[in-house]
Amino acid sequence: MSLLTIKNLSARVQEKDILKGFNLTVNPGEVHAIMGPNGSGKSTLASVLAGNESYEVTGGEVDFDGKNLFDMAPEVRAREGLFLAFQYPVEIPGVSNVNFMKAAVAEIRKHRGLEQLVAKDFLAYMKEKKELVELDGKLAGRSVNEGFSGGEKKRNEIFQMAMLDPKLGILDETDSGLDIDALRIVANGVNKLRSKDNAFVVITHYQRLLDHIVPDFVHVLYDGKIVRSGTKELALELEERGYDWIKEELAEA
Amino acid sequence: MMTTSILSELVAGAKSPASFKGIRSEAEGFLAESRIPSKKHEDWKYTNIKRLFDNGLNLISAENITFNSVDGVEVSWSTDEALVGSTSIHTKEAHAALNTSLFEKALVVRVKKGTQVNDELILNQVINLKDGEFTATRVLLVVEENASLKCQYHYSGSPSNSSLLNNLTEVFVSRNSHLELNYVQEIGEGNLMTTTEVECQRDSTFTTNCVQLCGSLIRNNVNIRLKGENIETHLNGFYMLNGRELFDNHTLVDHLVPHCESNEIYRGILAGKSTGVFNGKVFVHRDAQKTNGYQSNNNILLSDDATMNSKPELEIYADDVRCSHGSTTGQLDDDAVFYLRARGLDEFGATALLLTAFASDVLNGISNEELRASLEEKIQDKLKEMRG
Repeated sequence: MSLLTIKNLSARVQEKDILKGFNLTVNPGEVHAIMGPNGSGKSTLASVLAGNESYEVTGGEVDFDGKNLFDMAPEVRAREGLFLAFQYPVEIPGVSNVNFMKAAVAEIRKHRGLEQLVAKDFLAYMKEKKELVELDGKLAGRSVNEGFSGGEKKRNEIFQMAMLDPKLGILDETDSGLDIDALRIVANGVNKLRSKDNAFVVITHYQRLLDHIVPDFVHVLYDGKIVRSGTKELALELEERGYDWIKEELAEA
Repeated sequence: MMTTSILSELVAGAKSPASFKGIRSEAEGFLAESRIPSKKHEDWKYTNIKRLFDNGLNLISAENITFNSVDGVEVSWSTDEALVGSTSIHTKEAHAALNTSLFEKALVVRVKKGTQVNDELILNQVINLKDGEFTATRVLLVVEENASLKCQYHYSGSPSNSSLLNNLTEVFVSRNSHLELNYVQEIGEGNLMTTTEVECQRDSTFTTNCVQLCGSLIRNNVNIRLKGENIETHLNGFYMLNGRELFDNHTLVDHLVPHCESNEIYRGILAGKSTGVFNGKVFVHRDAQKTNGYQSNNNILLSDDATMNSKPELEIYADDVRCSHGSTTGQLDDDAVFYLRARGLDEFGATALLLTAFASDVLNGISNEELRASLEEKIQDKLKEMRG
């Protein structure tokens, strides 16, 4: 059974239609890359799936692991195993990363019927996940994302993803603004989390990330829907030729 | 004039003991010429107390402050005029003058020279005033040279919402002494007017944190005079308002001499149809060079009908100082709430985590972890009440 099935999804923000009949099916074990020019609807897709109320869903259905995604509040989606790595992680002064993760892990374990971790086990679990993304120990004690560099924020997103162990990870331009070292660290973190049971949707502007996180499928999003799907070779072609040839082909058709 | 006569009546009705004659006559002289402050009065612009006085107040005597026994601290009720009334405010402001005219005896707390007090002194004022009852209580807190003290002052009880408690606390922080004074004000539907008048001497430190959790009307004045060099003060407040509650914090930090530091953070969360007032004055006199003065007031409104009136005032007459002040009033950050929900916290959990963090800058100034933890719990309870 597929993990995520999106059928004919339409969504708008501030009276402007962004997604216009979007379809996608993701199975466990797969990595899908979604590429597309600016304004094509990539981030809207990520926000709608995570439940951001600034976006209005105007049509379509999304099934997540057998359940109607739109019946669930954002926190329930997270507890059910959907994780969004934010394009712009929010700074939260006064809330330490440790306390934040303690609260989040507790909610998720409760929802999944797992026993709560005692303090010692929690810290050991956190240490293990921190190493996965080479996150500096000091960052964990600091306020969430406050004063973090761009690269640190993105690593913190992947760290949180590792902590919450989702079925589906959606990476919204996690590579934007990263230097090559940070990109490698983030990509390695994701690769270590890949398994036959989970799946990833990697939203990106650049083919570069896909050298490190090799996708099973590449989709081109344009004007609110997928206009072309292929394998990783499609990403290379886009890198080479840009998006204009697709726009032109669409215009001719 | 109507209002003047009410003040005079209140004073005339008091069975003043023979003591405090000197300070009383001065205060009564002031009262004879003043009225109950109205909205026309700059310091009372947003806080209408007329309702309380209109229905008439019945003065009763009260000795309702209890305290624990702590090694190194002398606590007793006193009518010794030499001890009480040496600060200047009590003859120059209506409520302070009322207090000076009406209080019967003062609770005197004294830490003798060179005494470092280990345990915390806890003052408990349980207010159970009935309809129309009014009382004035007086506290004097003296920390002598080279001494130190930590003190909690709790106002609690379930007084009537037509009653009024007037309190004046005078505080002397002597040379090279240290005082931490934490207030917790949760007085149900009652009304409280309280003034803390502080004088600090050279090389001393003074920290005060005030947490306000409930009350129909709370007017809290804190005035700190820095009278010697090398003083460090921290003046913090945290308030949570719901329903039609009105809390008004007026503070004054008076830098009279060079090389002192003052830090002030007041933060509040307002829900329902509540009204908050913050008026913080920092005065840096001409001689007070090398002053470091910092003040901020931040407010979060949880409802469209809540109002915050914030007025930070900084007056500087010296030319070599470092001072800043700022005031913000806004809503909870929706992006932050969504970010936390996207990690599995429900809406209330996310909101509570953010608001607790907002409070923490003030609460962290309280050194007693037990007190801090109990306040955090009370803040959670009030948040639940605010939610619905």
